Amino acid sequence: MRIAIMLGIATLLGAADLSQVIESPDATAILKKDALPAPKVYAMPEGCISEDPAVIARGKYFFHNLNGKDAKDPAPEGLVKMLPNGKEKQFGNCVACHNIEGAKGYGNIGPDLSNYKGLFMDSGARKAEFVYQKIADARIDNPVTHMTINMTNGLMNEREVCDLTSYIVSKK
Amino acid sequence: MRNLSISAALICLALLSNANAEEKMSMSDADKAMYAEMLENNPADMDVAEGEQLFSGMTTLDAYSKMLGVKEKDLPAYISGFPRYVDAAKKVVTLSQTIQMAAADAGKTVPKLESKEMLKMTAYVKSLANGKKTSIDVKANAQMKEMMKLGQEVFEERRGGRGLSCNSCHSPDIIGQRLRMQPLPDLGVNRAAGTWPAYRMTKSETTLLDKRFQQCMDNALLAKIPLGSREMVGLEVYVTNKTKGNEIQIPGLKR
Ligand code: HEC
Ligand code: HEC
Repeated sequence: MRIAIMLGIATLLGAADLSQVIESPDATAILKKDALPAPKVYAMPEGCISEDPAVIARGKYFFHNLNGKDAKDPAPEGLVKMLPNGKEKQFGNCVACHNIEGAKGYGNIGPDLSNYKGLFMDSGARKAEFVYQKIADARIDNPVTHMTINMTNGLMNEREVCDLTSYIVSKK
Repeated sequence: MRNLSISAALICLALLSNANAEEKMSMSDADKAMYAEMLENNPADMDVAEGEQLFSGMTTLDAYSKMLGVKEKDLPAYISGFPRYVDAAKKVVTLSQTIQMAAADAGKTVPKLESKEMLKMTAYVKSLANGKKTSIDVKANAQMKEMMKLGQEVFEERRGGRGLSCNSCHSPDIIGQRLRMQPLPDLGVNRAAGTWPAYRMTKSETTLLDKRFQQCMDNALLAKIPLGSREMVGLEVYVTNKTKGNEIQIPGLKR
């Protein structure tokens, strides 16, 4: 009752404090949990690069698809579209930014990776280790890169980065 | 008849968006034709009209102006400057947050930021400033300076499942390049802040600017920042400042 009167007076004076009614949730915990760890150097594991068609098929699938919900073709051997927890598996969606052999609706934020073997590997301009690091954490080579980070934040594991690297450096 | 053609267009759009990824990303001739049609009959006009009813059921423009500390005739110019510092809020607030204040001031239930009522009322209140130019002043006071700085930090912070930031896709050096088949818009000349709330054809719904931010966060695997948080208000300050001087045209129409 007294509060109501005081509120009434405040309104009359035209100086009501309305700061408390504004929805203003705290986002710091959300952002902290979502933070990206510092850039990290990775060593390419032994036997990472393979010409096994099953490996290349997985790398290719990662390159051309966004996630399990979005992917049209069935997943190749050794990959699933849906995770046991019911969520869709996240793939690389590299095609959003890069052209490569057979890419459909590719973007051009990143360089064209077509004929990567012929142009960059055979000439010695690039090594598989470079490609591996680029995919795992692109900030090592370029601190202001616009490219996605894939391993430091846990999106991909070693095998998945190896599959992708194998696909990019393979003869197509 | 008019409604019928809109819903027919929407059904087409729904079919289109089920088509494969390539088609979904680009604007086909059918999309363009529909865009032209919707420019004439923006489905969001209805939301603005309903927003006016909801607002007048809750308070008056006179009371709203008083609460904000401006004369009613100056309201449109004042609205064009949001987000801004408001005395009665003791902080920098969005237009939607002032509607929460107006509700409390009138002794009515305070609508949630996520609610449809809020979307509609925000669209209506902002439409009062149609024809004005966005006039945000990020140097107006210490609070605005602080929110501008926070907004830039949030815009540039890489985070989430793919380590991306807003800047990864909206930095000046990649505007106009393609993400898949989708050209990356210039958040400045695109009149981003002057044209939201807008109807999004690909979502078949009217959306607020901060909800549009959340859609980008979702797509890029960034955790969604809640509406009304300091970080979200800061982001709105930062993005709105990019469009300072652009004409306000509510409701907007987007792909
Ligand atoms: C959001 C945009 C974007 C996405 C998504 C993206 N990249 Fe990139 N990528 C870039 C940009 C920009 C560069 C060049 C600048 C740099 O090196 O940081 C690049 C460079 C590269 C290079 C180095 C090429 C060279 O020899 O210099 C490789 C390899 C590469 N990306 C592979 C990938 C793979 C594999 C994926 C998916 C897991 C991917 N990219 C996803 C933007 C992207
Ligand atoms: C992976 C790329 C990517 C990231 C990251 C991203 N965006 Fe976007 N954004 C886009 C694309 C592509 C569009 C255009 C989509 C369309 O027209 O349908 C867009 C559109 C927008 C628009 C609408 C512009 C208009 O008025 O038409 C706003 C506003 C926006 N983004 C803000 C943000 C903010 C804020 C963030 C960070 C929280 C962000 N974006 C992160 C790709 C991205």
